[in-house]
Amino acid sequence: MSAFNAIGDGRDVDQNEFTPGLEPQPTWCPGCGDFGVLKALKGASAELGRTPDEILLTTGIGCSGKLNSYFESYGFHTLHGRSLPIARAAKLANPGLEVVAAGGDGDGYGIGGNHFMHTARENHDMTYIVFNNEIFGLTKGQTSPTSPKGHKSKTQPSGSAKDPIRPLSLALTSGASYVARTAAVNPNQAKEIIIEAMEHDGFAHIDFLTQCPTWNKDARQYVPYIDVQDSDDYDFDVNDRREAAAMMAEVEDALHEGTVLTGRFYVDEDRPSYQQEKRAIGEIPEEPLAERYFDDSYEWERSADHFLDKHK
Amino acid sequence: MPADFNWAIGGEAGDGIDSTGKIFAQALSRAGRHVFTSKDFASRIRGGYTAYKIRTSVDQVQSVVDRLDVLIALTPRTIEENLDELHDGSVIIYDGDRTTMQGVEIPDEMVGLDVPLKSLAEDAGGAIMRNVVALGAACEVTNFPIENLDSALQKRFGNKGQKLVDNNKDAARLGRDYVGDEYDHEFNFNLETTENDYVLLNGDEAIGMGALAAGCRFYSGYPITPATNVMEYLVGRIERYGGHVVQAEDELSAINMALGAARAGARSMTATSGPGIDLMTETFGLIATSETPLVIVDVMRSGPSTGMPTKQEQGDLNQMLYGGHGEIPRFVITPTSIDECFWKTVEAFNLAEKYNIPVYLAADLALAVTEQTYPPEAFDMDQVEIDRGKLVDEDEIDEWLDESEHFRTHALTEDGISPRAKPGTAGGAHMSTGLEHDELGRRTEDTGMRVEQVDKRNRKVETAIERESFDYREFGNPDSDNLVISWGSNEGALVEALDFLAEDDLDVHVISVPYIFPRPDLSEEINAAENVIVVECNNTGQFANILEHDSLRRVQRINKYNGVRFKADELAEDIKETLAETAEVHQ
Ligand SMILES: Cc1ncc(C[n+]2csc(CCOP(=O)(O)OP(=O)(O)O)c2C)c(N)n1
Ligand code: SF4
Ligand SMILES: [Mg+2]
Repeated sequence: MSAFNAIGDGRDVDQNEFTPGLEPQPTWCPGCGDFGVLKALKGASAELGRTPDEILLTTGIGCSGKLNSYFESYGFHTLHGRSLPIARAAKLANPGLEVVAAGGDGDGYGIGGNHFMHTARENHDMTYIVFNNEIFGLTKGQTSPTSPKGHKSKTQPSGSAKDPIRPLSLALTSGASYVARTAAVNPNQAKEIIIEAMEHDGFAHIDFLTQCPTWNKDARQYVPYIDVQDSDDYDFDVNDRREAAAMMAEVEDALHEGTVLTGRFYVDEDRPSYQQEKRAIGEIPEEPLAERYFDDSYEWERSADHFLDKHK
Repeated sequence: MPADFNWAIGGEAGDGIDSTGKIFAQALSRAGRHVFTSKDFASRIRGGYTAYKIRTSVDQVQSVVDRLDVLIALTPRTIEENLDELHDGSVIIYDGDRTTMQGVEIPDEMVGLDVPLKSLAEDAGGAIMRNVVALGAACEVTNFPIENLDSALQKRFGNKGQKLVDNNKDAARLGRDYVGDEYDHEFNFNLETTENDYVLLNGDEAIGMGALAAGCRFYSGYPITPATNVMEYLVGRIERYGGHVVQAEDELSAINMALGAARAGARSMTATSGPGIDLMTETFGLIATSETPLVIVDVMRSGPSTGMPTKQEQGDLNQMLYGGHGEIPRFVITPTSIDECFWKTVEAFNLAEKYNIPVYLAADLALAVTEQTYPPEAFDMDQVEIDRGKLVDEDEIDEWLDESEHFRTHALTEDGISPRAKPGTAGGAHMSTGLEHDELGRRTEDTGMRVEQVDKRNRKVETAIERESFDYREFGNPDSDNLVISWGSNEGALVEALDFLAEDDLDVHVISVPYIFPRPDLSEEINAAENVIVVECNNTGQFANILEHDSLRRVQRINKYNGVRFKADELAEDIKETLAETAEVHQ
């Protein structure tokens, strides 16, 4: 493995630091796209100069949810669909952390869909990576919210009658301030996008196409892919909500017609994050919530008068 | 038994019943009188009857009784609803000019005071003050100095300008003078005042205050009666101490957010009622198995499903004790009074962090909406101690690393308690998961490790039982043959029932239990008594079942599940009857 040394925050961090000494061999199937996410995340974290102690990675349940077993950091493997509320609250309580949530398309767009909508709407300062393999991987290939219409599986043997969810459009309408799609087969772009997402102040959503050779044999390996930022065929302003919306609709349609379009689709650097909004109206203190405990004396302001006067 | 006085104002939702009642309660509290308030709500479909009731005395009062001495009735229905509680000589204040009250019948044995509330209020500056006119009238009837009302009005309206305060004071005086001038009836009530200084608060507020005092820095919730007041109390206050309140998109999110903040190192809490507990149960197992400290408040209301949302019940005990698939320990604490809501909240945070365990704090509607007076010393912040358990910082990390330098977050310790390192702590990076795991938090299906981790989690409970005192509270005569046991909010009614029972020369030993798990072992007390009665606000006797299991003895039960809390006098009758039945069986 190449030991890529990067300088970020004035620090050199080797991406091997993110390989746990304990369970180094992921149990994903050979050829699984999930390896691509792991590699890109390690590369991005190292390049940003983050250390494992500074990162909190929360995951959902699925093949994708195994990510933090293979990524050295503070990790919390949560419940099916619930990684987002856990992640965003951890960030609120301890803003110094680099908080990343990750999970599958079933996890994030199905069972956890409401949290996805609301975390985007509130624009929490965090990164969310959705491993989109267009099926339920762990439970052996059932139809997921992103499975294309007509996709056959054991639970939908006659083919899905439902239109797939539009993850990018959903993120945009919900309020995400950074929306991108990348693919496991394009590790360099993936790493760059994760870096941008982690650096972004606000909710950054990455729909990460991860091929599942075991259960989604029908699906392409997401090659060839096109990076819309590198192509002359696509001209839109990522900062313009309407242009972004039109582009996203095109990208989502194209996927099921065989054209894999990737890149950044919406970036809003101006929209304040939840924490910035709340701080502005005095509802979040400057000092991190969790930090307030590390003095052994616990002598924070506590006087009976403060509490009791109102009740007299 | 305290020489008590019982007062109520009732009308329709939207009549300002709550705020008027609160003003009078505050006036009494400020005059150095003890107060215990309760609220009647009825379903909106049936017209929205609502009442605010006050029991007051110079001694402490901690229950409602079936007696009403003075009633301000804004609607005929208010009188109908309270006929059972009204008695010979009760005074009913009403406005005979109000369309719905024209020709209203006041029962012969009672005193009806027809006071033109609305027109007097208009004289004082606006019809909106008609309830305050009624309060003035009530002052005259009860011989209660109106200056006490002034100070409550000042507090209520002070921030809206002195003019409004003065108008209200005038309105009250017009009511008082009207009764004085128009009625020469001798009223026998005399609400004397004292020099004492009290605070008046309800259970939800006491829980919120306890959380602040305990260092809670993160609260996430989703509004639901009767728990919303906890959240409303914390918003606007917790920020002063560096904390934050989140209104989440649902209870799934609320509890997961509380969990996320707790894992990040903040003392964290959520509060809800039964329907929310149902949703939160999904995450409960993850909290417990990842050994994250968290306080979950269930302010119980009548269930199942949407049930009777504004009615009292203690029906969620089984849910808290056994909810969630699989098996894992949790603590369940049930404060027995409003001041105890404060102290048990503080304790819940300490227990959660000392044992890395989720703690259910079970209050109920009766505690949540009732306001009661206490001397301020009952909430002595200097007595609050904070114990964060085995939360380690970077200097202590080394003690907990294995040979491969990884942090043993689920270390198999002798006392069952493992260390916590919050993310960001140098050298402590580790993972945790809802899957069964080894000491390092890595998933495992190793049969040996599985058993060791299950045993370790149970060992925490053994340790807690050794180190903490999960005691009961005791009242009445400890040597009595009659043992009455209750949990949660029934304590006040039970304690006052003792006085009623004493009038009949009945001698009772009361045990009030604030800890359901771990709980005090009552088998000795139960087996020593001749008659054992378990009192609870539910249908199936959830706690009675547990006690029978613990003591291997059948107990008698008093169960109330009509949606209304126990009243002291009624409970005394129930106890008498139950004892009489047992006596018959024994004959
Ligand atoms: C509440 C709940 N329901 C169902 C499951 C079973 N389950 C585990 S993962 C999964 C779907 C996984 O699909 P996805 O989220 O797309 O992740 P992938 O495995 O494809 O990465 C399901 C249904 C569960 N763990 N929890
Ligand atoms: S089943 Fe599919 S998604 Fe899961 S590890 Fe195998 S290839 Fe990857
Ligand atoms: Mg999937």
